Amino acid sequence: MTYFFQLVVSGIVVGSIYALSALGFVLIYKSSRVLNIAHGQIIAGGAFITYALTVWAGVPIVAALVLSIVITFFLAMSVERGFLRRLIGEPIISVIMVTIGLMSILNGIIYLTPFGTENYSFPTFLPATPVSLGGVSISWTQLVGVIITVVMIGAFSWFFKKSTLGISMRAVSDDQFASMSIGISVPRVFGLAWAMAGLSAAAAGSIIGNITGLNFETLHAFGITVFPVVILGGLDSIIGAVVAGIIMGLIQQFASGYLDGNWGLYGTAEVLPYIILLIILLFKPHGLFGTHEIERV
Amino acid sequence: MSANRWLATGNFFTTYREEQRIFQTHLDRLVFCVFILALFLWPMIIPLSNKYMLVIDNILIAIVAIIGLNLLVGFAGLISIGHAAFLGIGAYTVASFSRVIGDNHLFLTHWWPVVILISGFMGAGFGAFVGLPALRLKHLYLAIATLSFQMIFQWVINFMTFFNQGQTIFVGRVFWFTGKVARRHHYVFWYYVILVIVIAFGLGVRNLLRTKYGRALVAVRDNDRAADAMGMHPGLTKIFAFALAGFFAGIAGALHAYLYRGVGFESFTLHQSIEYLAMAIVGGLGTLTGSFWGPVAIIMLDLKVESLSEHAGQIFTSTMNLATAMRPLTFGLVIVLFLMFEPRGIANWWRIVKSYTKLWPFRY
Repeated sequence: MTYFFQLVVSGIVVGSIYALSALGFVLIYKSSRVLNIAHGQIIAGGAFITYALTVWAGVPIVAALVLSIVITFFLAMSVERGFLRRLIGEPIISVIMVTIGLMSILNGIIYLTPFGTENYSFPTFLPATPVSLGGVSISWTQLVGVIITVVMIGAFSWFFKKSTLGISMRAVSDDQFASMSIGISVPRVFGLAWAMAGLSAAAAGSIIGNITGLNFETLHAFGITVFPVVILGGLDSIIGAVVAGIIMGLIQQFASGYLDGNWGLYGTAEVLPYIILLIILLFKPHGLFGTHEIERV
Repeated sequence: MSANRWLATGNFFTTYREEQRIFQTHLDRLVFCVFILALFLWPMIIPLSNKYMLVIDNILIAIVAIIGLNLLVGFAGLISIGHAAFLGIGAYTVASFSRVIGDNHLFLTHWWPVVILISGFMGAGFGAFVGLPALRLKHLYLAIATLSFQMIFQWVINFMTFFNQGQTIFVGRVFWFTGKVARRHHYVFWYYVILVIVIAFGLGVRNLLRTKYGRALVAVRDNDRAADAMGMHPGLTKIFAFALAGFFAGIAGALHAYLYRGVGFESFTLHQSIEYLAMAIVGGLGTLTGSFWGPVAIIMLDLKVESLSEHAGQIFTSTMNLATAMRPLTFGLVIVLFLMFEPRGIANWWRIVKSYTKLWPFRY
């Protein structure tokens, strides 16, 4: 039973980070209907920037995390400015293919840096002894990671519920023409959505990098798992992203905890999300919380 | 149509049938026949070394794959980020035969056209399966379905001992009427085989695009509600597009397996899928000529990048492999730049050149 609870705890840890990364993806989709295929690379990039700032530039880790979030905020915004704003009005299919191109470009840039080939791990800055809660142990890194994630998700929901910018973003996602007519600058909202996506991606990348260590392949795989999460939650639902993230984290932990090693299986945690994705697309295509207005053709 | 059918000048269509002709004038037909003849004859006149012949074979295989991808992305308006996995289905169909009945079994070496055809149908089956969500969804979700198919494919190949966990599975040398194809004739032999397939598929697709089924693809891409109102079934049309793309990819994968005489995992990864997408975009989405230009351009670019990064590797002695970094970088840049500045691809340049020569010496 302790084993079960251990899996639940680590599933929630991983899942909450999925939730944070999926949040950025959902933001972009919600405001501009673009599937951002390059999201995984932005996550990895954020993690690498944090590492470079802490270890190579010697910035304290908390400041480095904030700094990297700020850098990624502006990087993602400039990506939107440079590539996607020119394509407003083009068919959405070519915008999505531009993000596929971006994914390839970012891959190339990451391979040019030492991070593409070598493994790094963050210096430990928290106590190494894990916290024990009734037999279930959780490391300090994981605990702090979850706390940061919860705080950030809370901040995001406050932002969308209360702030003027957040409300205008919701307005744009609801109806672009109507929001233009009441004086919201739609391109600026798109830019802001990308910037916020970059922000949350950098935070998620840094947290997962602290927990698992920095390896591009792992971070890349983590980034692609965002797709099953958002499909499960419904592409345009923020609550869906959070719930589905935690569900996906639990599924992965249970898979690697109970399936691997039995019946000659291994590495099931890597493939199960995609099988779930295909099944969901077949039977419940709008996901758990997605809007039902997806038209049947 | 006027009496002179040799030149385009002065000819006007009087029926819709005439507009749908593949060759508008006799001159077009003549040029095409001469071009095909030249394609068949040049290897006899200029013998190339195996190294260059392999590049040309690769281009032809990529053309087969891109004809399928272009039908899917260009004509049907669906995105596939898993085309390499469909090629992998074809290649691993050949590999499974090799695992079950041995790599030099009569069926694999003598009945190889049948094996290639079976691989094509396997690809079509998997393509239709991945396209199944199209019955319930608008198209853009399907991009994620193809991506997840790519991930599942990679995991299955790496996991199953039947597929040698991604290590090379050998395929024997094939036989022709004159006996076993010798090592020095291998690449030239496959050049002719693939050339015949490319010509047949090219003409076949050109013909398909003027039939009911091909035009349904374009109609569904442009407006699926209107297509629905006109009596087409958008979901089934999309599944048809996926099956067609899978078929072409399966054939291309099987040819790849036979050409390299083995199947390895690294030819069918996500990077490869993006490279195929780059070929389709650079060539020109929604045009058949684009399917020929794209692979030529990208594979040439690939060779240039490889030699360039080799040179650069000699100058800057670095520990990493520059080619692994430069390749995704250039393909990504090519995709983005073409989509931003020339979304109609190289085929558009070709169209401009053609319309210029057609009207020469008049400007318009």
